Amino acid sequence: MKRFKYIITITAGLILASCHKLAVTPLNILSDNAVFSSATGVTAYFANIYSSLPIEDFKYEQNNGFNQDWQNFYHPGALCGELVGPYGSTYDGAGGFGYWPYDKIRTVNVLIETLPKYASSFTDVQKNQWLGEAYFCRAYFYFALAKRYGGIPIIKTVQSYPAPINELQVHRDKEVDVWKFIEDDLDKAYQMMPETSVRGRANRYVAAALESRAMLYAATIAKYGSTNFVAGDARSAGFVGIAASEANAFFQKAIDAAKLLEGKYSLYQKSADKVKNYTDAFLDHDSPENIFVKDYSLPSNTAHSWDATMSPRYMTADGLSRAYPTMEFVERFTSLLITNADGTPKRFTNTGDLMTGLEPRLLATVYFPGATLRGLTFDTQRGLYEHFTGTAAAELSSNPPNQQFRHLSGSTDALFNGKRIIGFTGVSTDGDDKTRTGFYVRKYIDYNKAQADCGLYKSTTSWIDMRYAEVLLNRAEADVELGNTSDALTTINQIRARGGATLATPGDITVNYVRNERCMELAFEKQYWWDIRRWRIADQILDNTRYHALLPFLVLDEGKYIFLRDNEPFQRSYTFEKKYYYEPLPGGELNKNPNLYPNNPNY
Amino acid sequence: MKKIINGLLIALILVAGFSCTKVDNLPGPNAGFKGRIIDKTTSANLITETSGMQIKLEELSYSATPDPQYIPSKQDGTFEDDKLFKGHYRVTPYGGAFWPVDGVELDINGTTSHDFEVTPYLAIKNLTNSLSGTTLTLTFNMVAPIPDGLPQIIDVKPFVNDTQFVGSGANINNYSDVNRITLNSNYSDVVGKTYTLTIPSLKSGRTFYARVGVRVNDSFKQYNYSDIIEVKVP
Repeated sequence: MKRFKYIITITAGLILASCHKLAVTPLNILSDNAVFSSATGVTAYFANIYSSLPIEDFKYEQNNGFNQDWQNFYHPGALCGELVGPYGSTYDGAGGFGYWPYDKIRTVNVLIETLPKYASSFTDVQKNQWLGEAYFCRAYFYFALAKRYGGIPIIKTVQSYPAPINELQVHRDKEVDVWKFIEDDLDKAYQMMPETSVRGRANRYVAAALESRAMLYAATIAKYGSTNFVAGDARSAGFVGIAASEANAFFQKAIDAAKLLEGKYSLYQKSADKVKNYTDAFLDHDSPENIFVKDYSLPSNTAHSWDATMSPRYMTADGLSRAYPTMEFVERFTSLLITNADGTPKRFTNTGDLMTGLEPRLLATVYFPGATLRGLTFDTQRGLYEHFTGTAAAELSSNPPNQQFRHLSGSTDALFNGKRIIGFTGVSTDGDDKTRTGFYVRKYIDYNKAQADCGLYKSTTSWIDMRYAEVLLNRAEADVELGNTSDALTTINQIRARGGATLATPGDITVNYVRNERCMELAFEKQYWWDIRRWRIADQILDNTRYHALLPFLVLDEGKYIFLRDNEPFQRSYTFEKKYYYEPLPGGELNKNPNLYPNNPNY
Repeated sequence: MKKIINGLLIALILVAGFSCTKVDNLPGPNAGFKGRIIDKTTSANLITETSGMQIKLEELSYSATPDPQYIPSKQDGTFEDDKLFKGHYRVTPYGGAFWPVDGVELDINGTTSHDFEVTPYLAIKNLTNSLSGTTLTLTFNMVAPIPDGLPQIIDVKPFVNDTQFVGSGANINNYSDVNRITLNSNYSDVVGKTYTLTIPSLKSGRTFYARVGVRVNDSFKQYNYSDIIEVKVP
C-alpha cells in the first residue's frame, strides 16, 4: 500500500514537470519589446549610448582613452606644445590607444533597425527625434574613428552573429566615403530632430555644429593631406587621404552647417568685466553659448578633478598639477614686454604688473605670475639675483655674466638672506608639481569653489563639447580657405570683441590669422592636437622643438622683479613623425580581421 | 583518516604539478641576419647614425600579413640581429635618407648575410672645417645623385657631440640645433652653392666630434650625413 503512495507521488511529480514548454520569456534579458515599446525604455537605451560617446572631456587621455582617473593633467595639448609637463615627448600619445567602438556602433544600429518596428507606439515626431539622435550618435562615433584612422569599415546594419567568419571580416572603406557617410548621417539627424533638446542630448543644431566641425576636418585633410603625406599601400588604395579636388565642397558644407546655428546660440556676454565674463563662460551652467555639454555629479561618481590637478596644490585640497601653458602659447596673443629697448630686462615692482594692458581673454585663459585665486597669489618665482647687470640675451647665453649672483632652488623652503628663493607656486625643478613655465591654466578653473572643496573627484564643472565660438571659428576658417574674407572678418570679430581683443582689419584675414584665432579661443579644449594634425603642420612645428618659459626673478639689491624668457627647465623636445597623421589600426583587430590590411602607412 | 586525506592531497598536488611539463621542442630564435647598406653611387657603406635607417623584416612564413619588425642600423651603415626565427622573410631597407626601394624575399637560416644597395637623397661634398678661437666653421655643398623629384630640402644642421657617436639622436643641443640653416628649398636653388655653418663658443680644452646633416621632406625626414671630423678646441 505504501508503495502505491510513492508511485502516485512520483508519477504526479513527473506529470506536473512534463507540461512545461520552454517558451517562457527569460526574466534576466530585456527583450526588444520591453525596451522599444515605451518611451522610458528608449530613453534608458539612449542613456547608455550617450554615456559611451567619445567626448574628449576632462578625463580623456590621448594615450589611454576616455573616463580615465584623476590625473586630468594628461592633456593632449601637452603632447604638442600648448602645454608642457606630464608627457616626456610627442611619442607618448601620438599612436593613440586603439579606439575601436564597433560594439557601441552596433548598439546604435540596433536602435535604428528595431525602433521602426514599434513605430505604432509613438508619434512620428517622437520616433523621428529618436532616429535623428541615433544618426547623430553614429556620426559622432565615426567622426572619432575617421580623425584617427582615416578609412575604416562602414557598418550601418546590425551584423548577425554568429555568422560565417568571412561575413564578419569586413574590408576598410575609403577615407572620403567615411567622411561622406558622416555628413549623410548628420544631414539626416538635422532633418529629423527638433530644435531643442534636454540638456546633454542632441537636437538638430547639435548635429549641425558637429557637421561643421567634421566637414572642416575632411576639407583640410583633403587640401593639406594631399601635399604632406606618407606614401604606402593604404594611401594608394584610398583608405587614407582624400583627393584635393574634394576640399572645396567640404569647406562649403562646413560653412552651410555653421550658418544653420545663426541666431540660435550666442556668445556669452553676461558681464561687463571682460576677464570675468570670459572666465564665467566656461563655468556658467546656463550659458547661451553652450551647444552640447557633458555634466558630472558627485552622487553618480562621475565628478572630475580639473580644479585639483590644473592648479598648484598650494591652492587646492588634494592632488597635484603637472601641465603648464607654454610661452609660445601666450605669445599667440602678443609678445610680452619684458625687455627694454636696450636689451636689459624691464624692472617690475610686482610680478603682476606684467598683466597690465593684456587681452582679457588671455588673462582669463592663463594664470599669470601675480594673479590671484581663492585669496592666494601666484607668487611664481624662478630664483633670486643678488644684483643683475646687462642684457637678458647675455644672461641667457652660454656665459651668463650674472650667474654667480643667481640663487636657484628646488624647494620652497630654501631661503637666501631671509627671502624665499622660489615661490610656493613654482618655478621648481624638483619634481614637476609646480609650474615650469611660469603659467597655470585658468580656463574651466572654478574660482568660486572653496579651497577645501578642490579635491580629487570633486569637480562638477560641465565640459562644453561644442560651443558657439567654435562654430564661428569653423565657419571663419572655411570662409578664408574659400576666399570669403569679409564673412571671415565679421565672424572673427564677434569672437575678438567678446574676448576684449582689438578688432581685426580686412588686411589681417589670412589662413594663418584665422588658425591662430582658433588656437587662442579654443585653448586647452583638446582641439589643438587634432587641429595641427588636420592642417598637416604638426611635423613642421614639432621638429625637435623645445618650448619656453617666462621665468620671474627677484633682483635683491633693487627690490624689483625681472622676467627672462628661457627654455622650460626640463628642456624636453617634441617631434611629430609624419606617420602619426594617422594612428595605426589596433593590432588586435588586425589579427582578428586580416581584411583590414593594409595598415596605415609606415606602421 | 586525516593522515590519509592529507597524504592523498599532497600526492594529488605533486601529480598535478609534474603533469604539465611538456618540453618546448620548437627551435628558439637562433637564426641571424646581417649585412651592409651600400650607397650605390660610391659603393661604400651609407654612413648614418644609430638607428638612422632600418631593415624591415616581414616573416612571410609565419603569416601573410605579418607585423613588421625592424633592425636598426649602426652608425657605419651595417646592421645585425642574431635573435631571429629561421624562416622566409621579405626584407626591405626602410626609414632612412634614401630613395625608397622594394624589398627582397629570402630565407633566413643560420646567419644569413645580405647587402642592400640604395641611392641617398643627397651627399655632403667638399666638407672643410676650420677652427678660429672657439668658433668652428664648416663649409660644404650638396649633391643629389637623382635630382628629379627630390623632395624639398628642409635644413642643414651641424651636429656636435663629445663622443664619436654623433647625429640627430646624440648631440649637444646648444651647439647643434641652434646653429642650423633652414632652407625649405628645391634642389635647383641649392645645387652648386656653398653653405657655411658656424658653431660659436665651443668649450675650451675639450675634444668634439662634428658632422653635417641635411634632410629632405620625405616620409621619414632622416639625415644624410657627412663624415665625422674631430675638433680639438685649445
